[in-house]
Amino acid sequence: MTEIRYRRLLALYPRAFRQEYAEEMIGVLMADPRPAPAQVFDLIRNALIARLRLAAPGSGWARSARLVWFFGATLLLTVTLRRVVGDIPIPAHPGRQWAGIPPVDAVRLAGWAVALLAAVLGLRLVGALGAVAGLAGEIAAPSRTYVDTPATVLNAYWLIVAAFVVLCAVLVAERGALRPRGWVPIAAAGAVLIAEGRFLFLLDWQRPESFFAWRPPAALLAVAAGLVALGVLRQEAAVRRRLIAWSVPILVTFPLVRAGFGGFVAYNMGHPDSLRLIDPGQWALLLVVPLAAFAAAAAIVRRLETPA
Amino acid sequence: MREPTFLVLTALAAEPRHGYAVIEDVAQMTAGRVRLRAGTLYAALDRLRVDGLIEIDREEVVQSRLRRYYRLTGAGEQSLTAESARLRAQATIAERRLRARRTELGGATA
Repeated sequence: MTEIRYRRLLALYPRAFRQEYAEEMIGVLMADPRPAPAQVFDLIRNALIARLRLAAPGSGWARSARLVWFFGATLLLTVTLRRVVGDIPIPAHPGRQWAGIPPVDAVRLAGWAVALLAAVLGLRLVGALGAVAGLAGEIAAPSRTYVDTPATVLNAYWLIVAAFVVLCAVLVAERGALRPRGWVPIAAAGAVLIAEGRFLFLLDWQRPESFFAWRPPAALLAVAAGLVALGVLRQEAAVRRRLIAWSVPILVTFPLVRAGFGGFVAYNMGHPDSLRLIDPGQWALLLVVPLAAFAAAAAIVRRLETPA
Repeated sequence: MREPTFLVLTALAAEPRHGYAVIEDVAQMTAGRVRLRAGTLYAALDRLRVDGLIEIDREEVVQSRLRRYYRLTGAGEQSLTAESARLRAQATIAERRLRARRTELGGATA
């Protein structure tokens, strides 16, 4: 790998770190004969850690990142499973054919399953590869219909952000195998989500006219949310604060899409012949708001933990 | 103390070293099991400098590249001493228990 490429990677570090160590690091990197991909992974990972340390000093971020990796991969795996399991027809009703698992869902399933297994075994590079595959799947899924229905990307945007958060967490997580405290409620939340998807499917199948009727699955979603909250509450205070900070960029996407893109969606619904696509300014908003929300949450964590 | 941190301090306990020399020494100490990469090494060096456990000894320019030597501080020596004692105590307990286990198993099979 060339010096110029290493210098580009070093640009990921905070400026102060770069000014202090970049020249030395270049010397070490150019002298090191080991293969470039592992060096690249190590640089990206440590650049992220250096940025997180600036945002909120302390080792709690690396520890909480392991939980985000485990919990996030579990939940994203179950969200995909929910979709796949929900579409399988009942054998007793041969009128409906099952087309199998769509390739994009297969990529997501495999990616998150690998990421979860890697979290349990403590294999960071494998976990990162799984998370990259999962993220690619989460981006590819709504992109298929983006040109015809731009809102699909907005509806799935929280999943894309969640996948990106999990990837970042894998990159900065502490080493070591993990079966964390609070994994049972998280796994139970996943099971409830899958059951909810299946229940919803059966309900629509048997009583399609009941679309606007009361839906028991809404209660199941609340149960799943409660179980996730229980899993978070079971962590020690410092880790819990960081888990909440990690989740902020995901949570902020809901009001962002609702408030920032309501007019956009309404226009497209009213003008199917002249659809508007998301413009560069709107893309920038979608990128910047979650990042800014995380920076603000990390700053609050630092303030809470700074002695008066 | 994490293993890379312990190993970096151990490498600097012998003499002031520059970054690549630390990587080589750690690999040699651990018979090749741990071979630090640049990102991990400089994260550890930065943390240790912030904590006052190491400091810059001198700088050189070799083949137009900056080479900075780091050395252990008094606080670094104390920290390494404490960590070594902790690891030794744990290893002693483990060895004692393994000896007792072998004795018991030997007695059971005899």
